[in-house]
Amino acid sequence: MKKLLIALTVLMITGCAMFSPTPVKRTFPAVPSELMEACPDLKKTEPTEKLSEVLKVVVDNYGQYHECKIKVDTWVEWYKTQKDIFESVK
Amino acid sequence: MWMLSFVPDAILYAVVIGIMFAGISLYAFSFITRVLPPLIPYTGMIRILGTILTVVGIYFFGSYSTEMEWRNKVAELEAKVAVSEQQSKDANTKIQTVVKEKIKYVKETRVVIQEHIKNVETKIDSMCKVAPEAVDILNEAAATPGVKK
Repeated sequence: MKKLLIALTVLMITGCAMFSPTPVKRTFPAVPSELMEACPDLKKTEPTEKLSEVLKVVVDNYGQYHECKIKVDTWVEWYKTQKDIFESVK
Repeated sequence: MWMLSFVPDAILYAVVIGIMFAGISLYAFSFITRVLPPLIPYTGMIRILGTILTVVGIYFFGSYSTEMEWRNKVAELEAKVAVSEQQSKDANTKIQTVVKEKIKYVKETRVVIQEHIKNVETKIDSMCKVAPEAVDILNEAAATPGVKK
């Protein structure tokens, strides 16, 4: 009777390898569209003698830099946040 | 075998228990056939069939237990993934709002500064004349490195 029980247990355990686990699908998080826009080239100054005209272009370029800086910083923040969320699932 | 993962739990359980029950019943029935003269010639066959079904049933029961464990793990993981996906969406919305606000502020500041320049334009231009070389140098610095335009 003992041998029969052992044999049955072994048989049952052998059957355990019969099924294969179903993989769980995970979708990659979408990136905000604002971050997908490329940074434009810096503006160039038209030939002029007026300092105010030069200054306007410089101010525009500074503004453009700040916008790009925001985007890059946000990319880094986005990556860190999404990575933390992704790694929290184990 | 992976196709079995599409079969609902209840059906799988019923089939496994059914096989086991049929096997045990047939095995037990094989002892009764001794007293039923028309079935006496089949006693051995019924007992063998009962034994096979019982063994197969037990084997399947082991498989079923593992399958259920996997399904529970999958369900648990799917729930976690759903929560993380929601968190991910929320984080995206938050980031999107913040980035929009920041860019809006930068644009507004730029407009204010441009207006400021316009107000003092005459003063600035009367005090200084820009040499063409200065504009060239500035444009050279503004050009994207490595790209000739």
